[in-house]
Amino acid sequence: MNFWVANPDWGFWIIAYFFLGGIAAGSYFIAVLIDWFGSEEDRALTRIAYWIAFPLTILCAICLIVDLDRPERFWHMLLKSEVFKEALHEGFPFSAAGWRLAVQAPAFKYWSPMSVGSWGLGLFGLCTFASFLSAVWPERWPGRWLRYKWPGRVLHVVGCISGFFIASYTGALLTATNQPVWSDTTWLGALFLASAASTSIATLSLIAWWKNIGTPEARERLRGAEPLALGLELVVFGAFLASLGDGLSAVLQTVRGNVLIFGTLIFAVLVPLLIHGRIGERRPWGLPATAVSVLIGGLIMRYGTVTTPGEILRRGPSVAASYAPEGHRHRGESGADIHNYGNTIRPRSKLPVNQ
Amino acid sequence: MAEARGFFTDTTICIGCKACQVACHQWNDLPAGRMGLTVLSGKSYDNTGSFSDVNWRHVQFIEQFSDDPDRTQAAWLMMSDVCKHCVHAPCLEVCPTGAIVRTEFDTVYIQEPACNGCRDCVSACPFGVIHMSERTHVAQKCTLCYDRLKIGMQPACSQACPTGSIKFGLIKQLRKDARTRLAQLQQEGQTKAQLYGADEQVLGGLNSFYLLLDKPETYGLPSAPKVPSRSVRPSSFWSIFTGLLVALGVLFQFRERKKPSPAPVPAGDTPPRQPEAQARGENTGEVRP
Repeated sequence: MNFWVANPDWGFWIIAYFFLGGIAAGSYFIAVLIDWFGSEEDRALTRIAYWIAFPLTILCAICLIVDLDRPERFWHMLLKSEVFKEALHEGFPFSAAGWRLAVQAPAFKYWSPMSVGSWGLGLFGLCTFASFLSAVWPERWPGRWLRYKWPGRVLHVVGCISGFFIASYTGALLTATNQPVWSDTTWLGALFLASAASTSIATLSLIAWWKNIGTPEARERLRGAEPLALGLELVVFGAFLASLGDGLSAVLQTVRGNVLIFGTLIFAVLVPLLIHGRIGERRPWGLPATAVSVLIGGLIMRYGTVTTPGEILRRGPSVAASYAPEGHRHRGESGADIHNYGNTIRPRSKLPVNQ
Repeated sequence: MAEARGFFTDTTICIGCKACQVACHQWNDLPAGRMGLTVLSGKSYDNTGSFSDVNWRHVQFIEQFSDDPDRTQAAWLMMSDVCKHCVHAPCLEVCPTGAIVRTEFDTVYIQEPACNGCRDCVSACPFGVIHMSERTHVAQKCTLCYDRLKIGMQPACSQACPTGSIKFGLIKQLRKDARTRLAQLQQEGQTKAQLYGADEQVLGGLNSFYLLLDKPETYGLPSAPKVPSRSVRPSSFWSIFTGLLVALGVLFQFRERKKPSPAPVPAGDTPPRQPEAQARGENTGEVRP
């Protein structure tokens, strides 16, 4: 683990984006699969996904923009600001010189998860918007057009791929850093994707139950998919914890690390599986209780993942205590006769004492 | 493109005078502290504690004592730390706006007008160098005095260094000097002396590299910092694998099943009419938002 990095202070807005984006993307991804391979009676459920995916994507974009330190410059994610300003100066869109510069303006770095994610979210937003229109007004244009013509198939393919991407790239984005925990694993993308599947199935089940949408058989099939998603999430979460290796002990020394591990296990996996297995539909509250627990668990998982590195950096490395001048001498290096005290190992996070 | 330039910091001759810090503040017009308050850190003579948006250089004071009760041996390590201007710079790699660029001197520079404050560079820098400005709300770090280099001057910090601990020059020449100095120290019995970042092992090479008297971690330098993009491929693989499992689960659950043929209706019986089915509360698949 690298304990000498600065904390990016990603907080509420990023957690909200990861959570809502997971639900939107997971719902759309699953809805498209149901649309392709499900029966006619299942398709009522897909409409729920198309209704919620677009508003949630808009909320995601708002969260991301608000989180920026300079929100008015959000468009710099998509366009090279200096090149675009120059294009405007050259008369874009009314001059050839302006256009020549403008075509060089898009800022796309395929090796930067945040850059690809910005474009991916834009593309996903377009797909969810088109699907939203066709779900709200199925008998009008463009609903009818998208349902029966080839553009509908293209929309589904592009939407399905971009939905899968949005559900998982956020984990890859965290991994592509040098922060403790995030950079010590390659399983965060898979974990976020598995969680997106379970939280989106929970959301669709909850709305279908609440609004009585779809046939009982279709709702039962959706409910039956939940344990599969939860089982997958449990396996991936186990792989994530195992991949941390020795770093797991540092995670367990933090409050948020414990929230991440035990909160996720309890709320996101064990309680829903228990309710699903033991209570099922015998009690009227069985289904909503399962869904709510999965949603709380998904939120806790993202909260814990995003905030644990910050707490590790604030507390210093797990070995910091052994470096303290008050009696605990450093024993880390075999054969060492000179030992470090006090400030040798410390986080480079913001220190309240002197700043 | 001009030849790569940078710093070689020989920590063995750093005396912790902080002239480099002062020169950096003065040249770059950085405030001495926030709101005029100067607070002691309680960490030896270190009064800034870490890098920050207004401290682009940080002089470390590392006190070491032996394990015996009387502390008969003592050492005081000092190091003037700064942005490493890495060859494979993680901050430059992840920056989505293109605000972080490589200059003609092979240094890494933040173009403030393009930065939108996403803080991805803060999370990517393995040395904790980059911080967000509380005044301008954009990322801040050492520019290696790009404005001075453009007019043929050397950076303010290296010019101010009274002992020559911070040497500025062509990277090739600095590496030669560093190896000579290391050999000299090792000949004198400094077995722990080592170079950090002088070869391609650390992020493809650091354009600000160090001669240390202890292991890198003692100075708060990670021994094996990572290039962020190295993890994107395995992360994508596991994501795709998980995505396929999710898709298989959904397909398994929602695959089109063959409906059983309806049982023959006994003579005289009639199937329930639709209104009756609805009266029993059965859902007919009709959407009622």
